[in-house]
Amino acid sequence: MNFLCDPHARPAALVLEDGTYFGGYAAGAVGEVCGEIVFNTSMVGYQEILTDPSYAGQIVTLTYPQVGNYGIDEAVSQADTPALRALVVRDLCHVPSNWTSQMSLPAYLERNCIVAIEGVDTRALTRHIRDHGTMRAVVSSVDDLDPERLVATARASEPISNLNLVAAVSKPGTLELGGAAEGAPRVVALDCGMKRGIEQGLARAGLDVTVVPWDTPAVDVLALHPDGVFVSNGPGDPASVPETTACVRDLLGRVPLFGICLGNQMVARAAGAQTEKLPFGHHGGNEPVVNLLTGRVEITAQNHNYGLVWPSLGPLVPEESGGYDEHVDDLREWARRGVAPVVRTGTVGRVRLTHVNLNDGTPEGIQLLDARAFSVQYHPEANPGPRDAAYLFDAFARLVAGADDYLEQVSPALTQPAYASPKEVAHA
Amino acid sequence: MPRRDDIKSILVIGSGPIVIGQACEFDYSGTQACRALREEGYHVVLVNSNPATIMTDPATADRTYVEPVSAEVVARIIERERPDALLPNMGGQTALNCAMELGRSGVLERYGVEVIGCDLDAIEAGENREEFAAAMADIGLELARSGFAHSLEEARDIAADLGFPVVIRPSFTLGGAGGGIAHDADELERIAGQGLALSPEHEVLVEESIEGWKEIEMEVMRDACGNGIVICSIENVDPMGVHTGDSITVAPAQTLTDAELQRLRDYSLAVLDRVGVACGGSNVQFAVNPTDGRVVVIEMNPRVSRSSALASKATGFPIAKAAALLSVGYTLSEITNWITQATPAAFEPALDYCVVKVPRFAFEKFPGTDDRLTTRMRSVGEAMAFGRTFEEALQRALRGLETGRGGLGADGADDFDEERFDELVGAPTPERIFYVAEALRRGWEPARVCEASGIDPWFVDAVANIVTAEKSIAQLGIGGMDATHMLAAKQMGFSDGQIAHLCGSSEEVVRALRAIQGVTPQVKTVDTCAGEFAAETHYHYMTYEMGGADEHVEAERPRAMILSAGPNRIGQGIEFDYCCVHAAAALHEQGYETVMVNCNPETVSTDYDASDRLYFSPLTFEDVMDVVEVERPAGVVVSLGGQTPIKLARRLEAAGVTIMGTSPDAIDLAEDRDRFSALLDRLGIDYPASAVASSVAEARVAAQRVGYPLLVRPSYVLGGRGMAIVYGASELETYMNEALLVSPDMPVYLDSFLEDAIELDVDALADGDECYVVSVLEHIEECGIHSGDSACCTPPFTLSASLVERVREITRQLADACHIRGLLNVQFAVRDETVLVIELNPRASRTVPFSSKATGVSAAELAAKIMAGAKIRDLGLPPEDRELGYYAVKEAVMPFSRFPGADFVLGPEMKSTGEVMGIAPTFPEAYAKTRAAIDYEMPERGGALVSVCDRDKRAVAPIASSLAALGFELYATPGTARVLRAHGLACTVLERMGAGERNVGSELAAGHISLIVNTPHGHSSRGDGFRLRGEAVARGICCVTALSAATALVMSLSAARDGFAAPVALQDL
Repeated sequence: MNFLCDPHARPAALVLEDGTYFGGYAAGAVGEVCGEIVFNTSMVGYQEILTDPSYAGQIVTLTYPQVGNYGIDEAVSQADTPALRALVVRDLCHVPSNWTSQMSLPAYLERNCIVAIEGVDTRALTRHIRDHGTMRAVVSSVDDLDPERLVATARASEPISNLNLVAAVSKPGTLELGGAAEGAPRVVALDCGMKRGIEQGLARAGLDVTVVPWDTPAVDVLALHPDGVFVSNGPGDPASVPETTACVRDLLGRVPLFGICLGNQMVARAAGAQTEKLPFGHHGGNEPVVNLLTGRVEITAQNHNYGLVWPSLGPLVPEESGGYDEHVDDLREWARRGVAPVVRTGTVGRVRLTHVNLNDGTPEGIQLLDARAFSVQYHPEANPGPRDAAYLFDAFARLVAGADDYLEQVSPALTQPAYASPKEVAHA
Repeated sequence: MPRRDDIKSILVIGSGPIVIGQACEFDYSGTQACRALREEGYHVVLVNSNPATIMTDPATADRTYVEPVSAEVVARIIERERPDALLPNMGGQTALNCAMELGRSGVLERYGVEVIGCDLDAIEAGENREEFAAAMADIGLELARSGFAHSLEEARDIAADLGFPVVIRPSFTLGGAGGGIAHDADELERIAGQGLALSPEHEVLVEESIEGWKEIEMEVMRDACGNGIVICSIENVDPMGVHTGDSITVAPAQTLTDAELQRLRDYSLAVLDRVGVACGGSNVQFAVNPTDGRVVVIEMNPRVSRSSALASKATGFPIAKAAALLSVGYTLSEITNWITQATPAAFEPALDYCVVKVPRFAFEKFPGTDDRLTTRMRSVGEAMAFGRTFEEALQRALRGLETGRGGLGADGADDFDEERFDELVGAPTPERIFYVAEALRRGWEPARVCEASGIDPWFVDAVANIVTAEKSIAQLGIGGMDATHMLAAKQMGFSDGQIAHLCGSSEEVVRALRAIQGVTPQVKTVDTCAGEFAAETHYHYMTYEMGGADEHVEAERPRAMILSAGPNRIGQGIEFDYCCVHAAAALHEQGYETVMVNCNPETVSTDYDASDRLYFSPLTFEDVMDVVEVERPAGVVVSLGGQTPIKLARRLEAAGVTIMGTSPDAIDLAEDRDRFSALLDRLGIDYPASAVASSVAEARVAAQRVGYPLLVRPSYVLGGRGMAIVYGASELETYMNEALLVSPDMPVYLDSFLEDAIELDVDALADGDECYVVSVLEHIEECGIHSGDSACCTPPFTLSASLVERVREITRQLADACHIRGLLNVQFAVRDETVLVIELNPRASRTVPFSSKATGVSAAELAAKIMAGAKIRDLGLPPEDRELGYYAVKEAVMPFSRFPGADFVLGPEMKSTGEVMGIAPTFPEAYAKTRAAIDYEMPERGGALVSVCDRDKRAVAPIASSLAALGFELYATPGTARVLRAHGLACTVLERMGAGERNVGSELAAGHISLIVNTPHGHSSRGDGFRLRGEAVARGICCVTALSAATALVMSLSAARDGFAAPVALQDL
């Protein structure tokens, strides 16, 4: 809200560990909190972002400047409570307008004790993060906003790579989602901070989902007699949750498996790949990804700071890689060649690169040819974002049902309304 | 998929003249398409009758035909040029209709021309509403309940089924022309009748009203592989019921949730898929019920549109350019994002700002017409603004509109109709947003404002924020406006002028105070990606942020700044944009880094390709100075953007800015009537007698001296606003009273009106040493009809060589005396052998593009070079008096059919929206082409109704005689009939409307009349002629209101009898 409309606005500050200072006004809960600063370029979907467990440990900047316009609707939350550390916006809306709105965003932040700052030049902040990478930061709306103190606070805070954030957001206990048809294939989902949109995506694909905690051993998973296993998204560095990687390694080859986001990194690590931290990650709803098997471009929702290093999986198999035997620096070259290259790993046999990000050539999806598993780095469940990739849930259902060409079928999803949102279901 | 090599040459069809609903956005799209295709190595053939466009510049295409966009003419061009392919979706509905006609008539098949970018069946499905409804049903999408009517009876039946109100939409018309909302049977009769008449298919859709729903547009692109992306969502602030072209709109959509938007995205892509848009850009419009989210598809356009131009400017994603490349086989992932130069075009732009577009209207030009906005578009232009908030963008856009407002009111210009106040808060008129703000100021609850107007609460709340901020500013006063409050005010989009008004200070003081406080705007970049990637393109806007982070990068070369023309309006439009685009290219060539400033999203000048740096900013002193202070230009060009920048020249110079070309003092010399008269006296140049009066008494005395008839006008003139011709004392008194009521402080000019004199327009270049006359244009209509509304011809078709030379000589004298450096335009009147100077414009005129194309001398480009120091003698110009070997005619296009209730007569006030050009070996043949370019067909036979005022009775007989000889059956009103009979011409006498059995009205209604010659009786006649002209416009009957025009028309009808003169490519001249 503009200062002229709210003369009692409480000053607040966002300070980065490199000393960069941004002034603003308090919004949401008053307090001081540290975290890793990232930005998300989605123009809508702030509620889904707020409640996405993958943001645990992070301070999220929304690049679209006016936030909260359509209020809060409990039905679209991706988890019961927000997991992020703090929210940074340019202008917060106090009087939302939409038929689905139940409360305003500022009220929601306050209720959930989320510290937020508005009035920040979020574009300048975004450009700073783009140029200097993600870093630790502090958002404060306490009385003492001394820059030097705040820089020191940011620098003293724990880097999120040291933390096991997954443990904090994974739901305890086994949970049957229910609602599936009689005799539906049974899928066990390892919950590393799974978004509700994923649960809904799996359910819509006709799968009977049982959610288990992130650290469930493979033997316990198998004891549930799953027809397939799903590995969810989640916050932080995949290296900080070796337990889940170990579980995935044990499951590969024994049961069809599908991973999303952190799940993709787990699958890759289980197959022997290295993962790396990207300079400022991918957080937004407009990332173009090409499906190398079909040539189609999907506009995808993404939210990750880590990614796999494709060549680290192993050497190319020329006869399955269009005759090429050398890795390329820019994976977009494979899109130009019209080839989905295959490498041979020392662990799980052959792995195919199926999806590539067209913006920066990072790997976005792999398929384990000898282990009946595939995974993508982006979010086919969207929420928020375009639903172009919703076909991947059906692909998983086909994999579970035993189809070999489960990923190759051109899906109608790209041009047909993918699926209805919860509200639409209610409306219908 | 790589580009296609089986195609070598491509025919691009333009949109023809600027009309309401189809304006210079198609110059932007067409120019982009031509350039993109040529860069790919294709041979581009272009047809477009509009000379004012960059598109029809000989350098834009390989072969440029400034010819009527009719199937007949285009077929001849196809026959001659034999293009391999036709790209029909860049020129609006006009081009699509033409392409469909070419398809239907078998021309495309005969010459083996492949339609690229869309297929004609898809057009049919998208625009034929019956097929479209069926297609939507196939994919499970809802349309408003409706039915098609091909007669009034059918329309009545459907309305009875649906219940009133119903929306009526004619099929296949521009910008929904002929549509409207009928609340009862009478309105149904009227609107459906008009719609049936206007629809080429005689078909209207009668539809359930969804008035009050949210209106959302999705701009979508698709490639031949089926990849689809949404470039932008646009939400209308004015809910359903107001044409989107007449609505205040905002991008991205503001009040929809992610789920709602993604659903619209899915629907949009499904619509394109189902309709069969092979590739290219389309827009899909939806209505969303604000109470339950129900979605209804309104329509889709399988082509680039006004909205796609807006979306391109709002996002930085050039839709037309991409669409052109997709049409030759590329896929979205093969095209590189032009802004980042690193990422692909297959993505969806992320905005980190808000864009607001506000339409500009011209209702004041058409008194008598209802200014309530409907589903029929009537705005003539638009201003767009960026802001970090909706509030900021809205105020900036309103300021950019140049209607004298500093923002959303609070500027000292508020003026409300107290009697109708409550009604006007609700009724959709151009002023509604100001009434909404005022209602909130007066303490209306936001909910009451929403209820009255149907505007979404979110937008009303934004306006309430502005009003709250206003009150804070007023309370604080200038002394209380510390840096924090000042920044907050600027972030709300308040101009210095508004802050000054609220604080009782002056704009200068506010600006100075801000400078001391360090509250200055920062440069931000439109980069398609919300800052995620570095931008290589200098596409900027300015805003205020805490912290002062600025994205400005100092240019290496000296900067030349070009102030363009702002929103299109009648009297100032695309012609000036043309000049500015040329100047940018020329100055870049001269070694400058060019900086364009403009706020009109439709134009080529606001394409970031047109200049080195583009600032999307209003053209007010404050906003221009903001750019000046950042870029510190070596010079600023003010003389190519019409009145808008000229008006800023003095203040800019006073602020230390170097004005390129003609100095502000020289501008003043030409524009100050006293100084200019003194100059003419000194040079011994004749000019019409004139006087100035500030009261009725003064006027009466002055009139005695100058003599009647008088051309009267307020001293502040734009496009001849408020001008009139008065023939006697009582008329003068009426006029003076009205004029003084409107602007009490402004004196009125009284000029001797040179009845029957020939008017000339001269465009010339001067460099301080030398003057070169580019063209002498002879008007077809006599003096008294605004030069912008008059047809003209070059070379002059009735003047002697010696007289033309005298005109040139006087032009040279004036250029020298006024120290012109750059372009000048002189208007002359020639009576008998006397040459009189009417006025001198020390700047680019409306006729510069026409003159350039008619003579092959690129005047605007050369003017820019002269401003940068070039000399005329070095420019290699052809002799002024060379024989051209052809005649080029320009004719004006009138928007009368959009303004029922106004008088449709040409006069000293400009009313036209656009122009067309015809080139042929003789004047009548060239004129015939312009008529065909406007009406798309010529009246060939049937009845010709002749009804002229007493002044013209003497001269009417030869015209009537020629009409009879051409085979027209003559009809005349009693007075005119007497004259015709006296000349031995047989004619049917028709009584005035409503009188007798056979009268003017009944014959028009019966369709017996195909041509009308009607000259008005004096000023603001409201009699029979007024109704006659109204009927003619409503029925689309060719009607001329000046005898000179009638003569030209008769000559051209005769010349066109055996077909039009052969099409001419500009490159062959």
